[in-house]
Amino acid sequence: MSDARRPLAILSPLLAPLALFLWGWAAGDYWRFVLTLVATSTVIGAALTMLVGFARCISLATGAMMGIGAYCSTLLILHAGLPFPVAVVASALAGGVGGLLLAIPAVRFKSHNLAMVTLVFQAVVIILVREMKSVTGGAEGLNVAPPVIFGQTISSDLVYLGMAACFCALALLPISVLLSGPYGRNLRALATNEVAARAFGIRIERYLMAAFTVSSAAIAMAGALAAPRFRIIDPDSFGLHTSIVMLAYPVIGGMTSIWGGILGGGLMRLLPELLRPIADYIELILAAIVILTVMFFRGGLTEIGERLCPRRTAPLAAAPDAPAERATTLPAPRPPSHAHAGDALVATNIVKRYGALAAVDDVTLAIRAGTLHGIMGPNGAGKTTFFNAVTGFIAPDAGRVVLFGQEAKPGRVEDRIALGITRTFQHVAIFPGLTCRDNVIAGLGRNGVRQSFRRSLDRALWSAAARDEHEAASWALAAVGLRSLAETRADQLSLGNQRRLEIARAIVSRPRLILLDEPVSGVSHGEVEQIVTLLRRLNVELGATMLIVEHNIGFLTALCDRISVMASGRIIADGLPAEVVARKEVRQVYFGEIEDAA
Amino acid sequence: MHQFGRLCGAALLAGALGFGAAPAEAQAPGVTKDEITIGALGALTGATSFMGGPGRDGLQLGIEQINAAGGINGRKIKLVYEHAFTPAESVAAAKKLVESDKVFALILSSGSTGAAAAANYVRETGVPTYNLFGATPIIRTPFAKNVFHGAMPDAPTSAQALVDRVYQAKPDAKKIGLLVGTYSFPQSNKAAILPILEARGVKPVIEEFDQDSRDFTSQLISMARQRVDAVIVLGSFSEAGFAYKQAPEKGLANAVWVLDGSAVNDAIVPIIGERDPKNVWGYSNMPAFPAQDHPEAVKFRQAWIAKYGTPPQGRPNSYDMVGYGGAFILAKAIEAAGENLTWDGLIGAWSTMKGAKPSDLGGADVIFPETFSETDHQGNRALGRATIKGGLWQTVGQ
Amino acid sequence: MAEFVMVILGGLKFGAVYALAAIGIVVIHKATRTVNFAHGGLVMLGAFATYVLVVDWKWPYWTAYLVVPLLIGALAAGLELSILRPLRRADLFTVVLGTIFLGTALSEAFRLAYNTELLAVPAAISGAPIFIDIGEDAAIVTLEQIWVTGGALAVGLAGLFLFRYSTLGRSMRAMASNIRGAQLCGYSVERVYATAWFTGGALAGLAGVFAAPSRGVSPELAVSIIASAFVAAVIGGFDSLAGALIGGLLLGVVETLSAAYVSSAAKSAISFVLLFLVLLWRPEGLFPEAKRRHV
Repeated sequence: MSDARRPLAILSPLLAPLALFLWGWAAGDYWRFVLTLVATSTVIGAALTMLVGFARCISLATGAMMGIGAYCSTLLILHAGLPFPVAVVASALAGGVGGLLLAIPAVRFKSHNLAMVTLVFQAVVIILVREMKSVTGGAEGLNVAPPVIFGQTISSDLVYLGMAACFCALALLPISVLLSGPYGRNLRALATNEVAARAFGIRIERYLMAAFTVSSAAIAMAGALAAPRFRIIDPDSFGLHTSIVMLAYPVIGGMTSIWGGILGGGLMRLLPELLRPIADYIELILAAIVILTVMFFRGGLTEIGERLCPRRTAPLAAAPDAPAERATTLPAPRPPSHAHAGDALVATNIVKRYGALAAVDDVTLAIRAGTLHGIMGPNGAGKTTFFNAVTGFIAPDAGRVVLFGQEAKPGRVEDRIALGITRTFQHVAIFPGLTCRDNVIAGLGRNGVRQSFRRSLDRALWSAAARDEHEAASWALAAVGLRSLAETRADQLSLGNQRRLEIARAIVSRPRLILLDEPVSGVSHGEVEQIVTLLRRLNVELGATMLIVEHNIGFLTALCDRISVMASGRIIADGLPAEVVARKEVRQVYFGEIEDAA
Repeated sequence: MHQFGRLCGAALLAGALGFGAAPAEAQAPGVTKDEITIGALGALTGATSFMGGPGRDGLQLGIEQINAAGGINGRKIKLVYEHAFTPAESVAAAKKLVESDKVFALILSSGSTGAAAAANYVRETGVPTYNLFGATPIIRTPFAKNVFHGAMPDAPTSAQALVDRVYQAKPDAKKIGLLVGTYSFPQSNKAAILPILEARGVKPVIEEFDQDSRDFTSQLISMARQRVDAVIVLGSFSEAGFAYKQAPEKGLANAVWVLDGSAVNDAIVPIIGERDPKNVWGYSNMPAFPAQDHPEAVKFRQAWIAKYGTPPQGRPNSYDMVGYGGAFILAKAIEAAGENLTWDGLIGAWSTMKGAKPSDLGGADVIFPETFSETDHQGNRALGRATIKGGLWQTVGQ
Repeated sequence: MAEFVMVILGGLKFGAVYALAAIGIVVIHKATRTVNFAHGGLVMLGAFATYVLVVDWKWPYWTAYLVVPLLIGALAAGLELSILRPLRRADLFTVVLGTIFLGTALSEAFRLAYNTELLAVPAAISGAPIFIDIGEDAAIVTLEQIWVTGGALAVGLAGLFLFRYSTLGRSMRAMASNIRGAQLCGYSVERVYATAWFTGGALAGLAGVFAAPSRGVSPELAVSIIASAFVAAVIGGFDSLAGALIGGLLLGVVETLSAAYVSSAAKSAISFVLLFLVLLWRPEGLFPEAKRRHV
C-alpha cells in the first residue's frame, strides 16, 4: 500500500465498532444487546491477537482477566461511587496489573507449560472470587446496576451500544497502533526466531510482559463494559470454559493481523445467537470450526479473505525466486561517523570449555578497524564458539574482549547492537512472517519495549522518524540488491536472497563491527561471487569492520584482508590470505594428508 | 461513498419500518386470533442441562395436551424455547423472546444465576413470567407483580423442610453436618439453612466441595471425626450419591442423610448401588415421583413415553414433571384472563387464582395445587417427605 | 493416625488414576512431540465404553480391562491419522490449540449422543472393607480401593518397562530424539506414530476403566481428568514416565491432604499452587529427562 495511506490502514479497525453501531441502529433492541457484547468480543479478539497470534502465548486466563475487569468496575461503582467511564478505565488498569502479575512468572515458560501457568492464574482468580463472598457475592453472583454517565442512567439499548462502541474504538486504536508498528513486528520476530531477535536488541521477556499487560488491560476493559449487560456477574461467566471459547477467537479469525481477532471475536459471539435453533449443537460446532481451521485454513478468516480478493499492492511483478537485481551503489545517507583508527576488536586469552572439552583454548586475536578478517578451520575447530563468545551469545570462561578500545563486559546479547555490533547467522535467521523491509527495520536496533511503543506511534502518525526508518531500510535493501522485493515476505525469498536480506539487516544500523557466520553456506556458486563483491563494497562504503567465519576457502581468500585458521580450539595460523593458505600446517589440518596430493 | 450513503439510507429506512411496525391491534404481544406464543429459557447444555432439557420436554408435552383438548378459549399455545445458561445468555434469550419474538408470557426453566439475571430483566419489562425451578432469593426479591413462582418453593421453605427431615428421622440428632457445593444454588440454600439451625441452637459441621466432585475423603473423615448424627447434602444427585457411597469406608456409618431437592433423583440409585438404602431422606415438591406407582405419575409417564420414546437412565425426572404441570398452571391463568388478552389482565387473573391444578384442563395432577394472591406469588408451599424404596424415590407423606 | 492413613489412601486411589492418564500423555509426547490436550476426552470415552460393556451389555467387569484399552487405543491412533496428521509439521503451538479443541469436541459429541447428566458404573470388586488397627483407631480400606490403586499402578509400571526395554519403546525414543536419524535407521514414522498413539490411547482407556466406578461417566470427567493429568505430567517433567507416575500420586495425596487439613473449598487451588511452585523451583519438573538444549 502506498505510504500516505498507512495511517488510514491503522485506523481501519475502528470501522468494526462503527459498523456494529450502524447495524444496531437499524435493528431492534435484542440485536442491540447482542451487538454490544459482539463489540466487546472484538476487543477481546484483538487483544488475543496480540497475545496468542503475535506473541504465540497460549493463555487460558482470558476469562479471569475479563472477570477482573467486570468485578473491579462493578465494585468501584458500588462502593466508591465512581462514574461509569472512570470505573471502566480503572478496571483496564487493574487488568493490566493482573496481566503483569501473571506475566512475571509466566514468560519464563513456553507452549504447554505456559498454558498451565495461565491455567493456575485462571483457577486462583475464580476461587478468590468465589470465596470472598462478602465482597464479590460469591458463587451466587453480584447484581450490576445500569451505568450512569453525567447523571443519566443508560437504559436504552441503542445508547448503550453507542457508548460501548466508543469505548471499544478507544481500546482497538492502541492495539492497532502497536500491532501494525514496530512493537507488533518485533513480537512476531521473537515468536519465530528468538536468537535473531535477541541479537537485534529485542528483549523477549519484556516484550511478552508488555503483551500480557496490554492485552489483559483491553480484556478487562471489555469485561467492565459488558458487566452491566450481564445484569448479574458470577464466577461461572468467567470460568475456564469462557477462556477456551475465547482462545478460538484469534485462531478462527487469523493470527497475523488485528482484523483476525476482530472478525473471529465478532463471529464467535454472533454464531450462538444465529444458531439458536440448533443450540444443542453449538459447542460441538464451535470446536469443529476451530479444528477445521487449524487443519486446513491455518491463516483463518483473514487469510481466506486475502485469497478471495488479493491486495493490488502486493508486488506481483517480483516473483520471489527471481534473482535479485544487481546491487546498486547508493550514496549512504550519512557518511560513516566512526572511522576508527586502531583495533576494532581485541580478544585476549579467550577460553570456553564444555565439560572436559576446551572448545576455545586460550585464543588471542586482534582485528584492525576497517578490515575484513576471516576465520577458517575444519568442523569442530571452535570457530563458532569463539565467534559466539565475541558476540556475547555465550560467556567465555576466561579472557577479555575489547571493542574499539572499550572493554566489552559479558552481558546481555540484547545490548550488543547498541555497541555497534551486528551479526548474521550460520543457519539463516530471518523473521519469516515479516516483509523484507520490516526485517531490515528490526535491524535498526532501538528495540526496547518503550522505544518500540513510541516508534509504533511514530509510524502510525507517519512522522519524520518513521519515514527515516523507512528510507534507511530502502537504502540497505538497495545496497544488497533487494530493493524491488522490499514488500515481499521474507520466507518467500530464495536462500541466496535470504542471505542478502540478513546482510541488509546487519548493515542498516551502520554498525562498526559486523560478524558474519558462514554467510555463503548453501549458496550457489554464482551467488557466492556476488556476495564477495557486495561485502567488499559495503566494507568500503560503510567503513565497517567485518569478521567472517566460513568453510569456503575460495570465498575467504577472495574476500578477506587477513585470515586466521583455527584447529582444536586454537589459532594455528594468522596472516594474509594467500600466505596462510600456503602454509603447510594449515594445509595439513584443513586438507588432511596433503603431502600425498602434491 | 455513494454506495455507502445508499446503504445508510436503506439501513435507516429499515430501522424506521421496524419501529413503525408496532402492533396496531389492541391485543397484547404474541396473541393472535388463534394462537398464543409463550417463551421459555433454560440450559440445554452445561452443568444445569438436567433441568433445562427436561423442563423443555415437560412443557412441550403439557402444551400439546392442552392444544389437543382445544386450546385456551379457542387459541392454541405455541412454545418458543431458547437455550441459556450464563447471565449473558439468559438476558439475551429473554430479550430475544420478549422483544423479537414478542411472546405473551415467559417461563424460566432454569435455576441458575442466569435465570436470576433474566428475572432482573423481566421486572423492568413487565412481561408475565413464571419461574419453575429457581429457589434463589435473587430471583424472588424484590417482589415484582409480574413474576410468579411455581412448584419450587423459596429457599427458606425448602431449607425448613430439610431440617425437618433430619429430626423426623432422628429426633435426638445433636451434631449435623452440612456438605455444600461451592457453586451457586448450594450456596444460596446454605445461606437459608444456617439461620434455621442457629435458631435450634445447632452449630453445624460445614464441609464444602467443588462442582462435579467425586472424592469426598477429607470431608467425610472430618464429619466422622466429629461424629455427626446427620448429613445434609446441598448439591446435585451425582455429588450426593458419591458422597453417600464413600461414607462407610471413611468411617461415617449410621448417619441420617438428607438430600436437597436437586439430589432427589432416581439417577442416584445406580451410583449408591443399593435399592433400599436406609436413612436417606429428602423432600419432594410434587405429590409423587415420576417412576412411583401412583395413578397420576403413571398417567404422566405413559404420556411422556408415548411422545418421546423409551427414556434414558433417570428420565423423565422431576423437572419433566414440574415443566408439564407448569404448562397447565400458566394455561389456567391465561384462560382466567379471558378472551381479550393483555399483560395486566393475565397478571390480575393469575394473582387471584386459587388451587389451580393440571386436571382442571385435563392433565395429570403431578404437581401440588397452586394458589396465588396479590402479595404472594409463591404458588406451592407443600413439600412431601421422600425416601428411596425399591430403587425409586417415593413420597411417603408430608 | 488412622485418619491420616485413610486420607493418604484416599488420595492414592485418585492419584493412581491421574498417574495412569499422565503416563499416556507422556508416552504420546515423548514419541511424537505432540502435547495431547484431548487426552481427557479419551479417558472419558474409556469410562463410557466401560459403562456400555458392564451396564448396557451386562458383560463381566474383567472384559472391560481387555476390550476398552484396545478400543480407545485404536480410536486414538485413528484420530491421529485423520485429524492430527496435517498438524505433524506444524509448530507446537498450533498442535496444542488443535488438541484443546479436539478434547472439547470429544466430550460434546458424547454429551449429544448420550444426553444424561451422569452414568453410574458399579464397582469392579465389592466386599466387606478391611479394618487395619492403628493405635486406638482403625483405618478402613475397601477392596475396591486396593484394586484401583494397585491395578492402576501395576499398569503404569508395566507401561514404564515396556517403553524402556521393548523394541517399540526404543523406536519411539529414537523418533523423539531425532526424527530424521531414526528414519535413516529404518524406523517407520507411520508405525511409530500409530504405536505411540495406540499405547497412549490404551493407557487412557484403562484409566477410564479404573475411574468409571468412582467417578461416573459425564462430559465433565474429561475436563477434570485432563487438568489433573496435565498437572501430574508437568510436575513429573513431562518427558519422564516415572515422573508422571510419581507426579500423579503426589497430586492425589496433596489434594486430599490439603482438603482434609487446610480447607475443603481450597482443594483445587492447592493442586495448582503445587504445580506453580514446582514450575518455579524446577522448570523442567521434578524428573527432567534431558537437559535443556542451549542455543
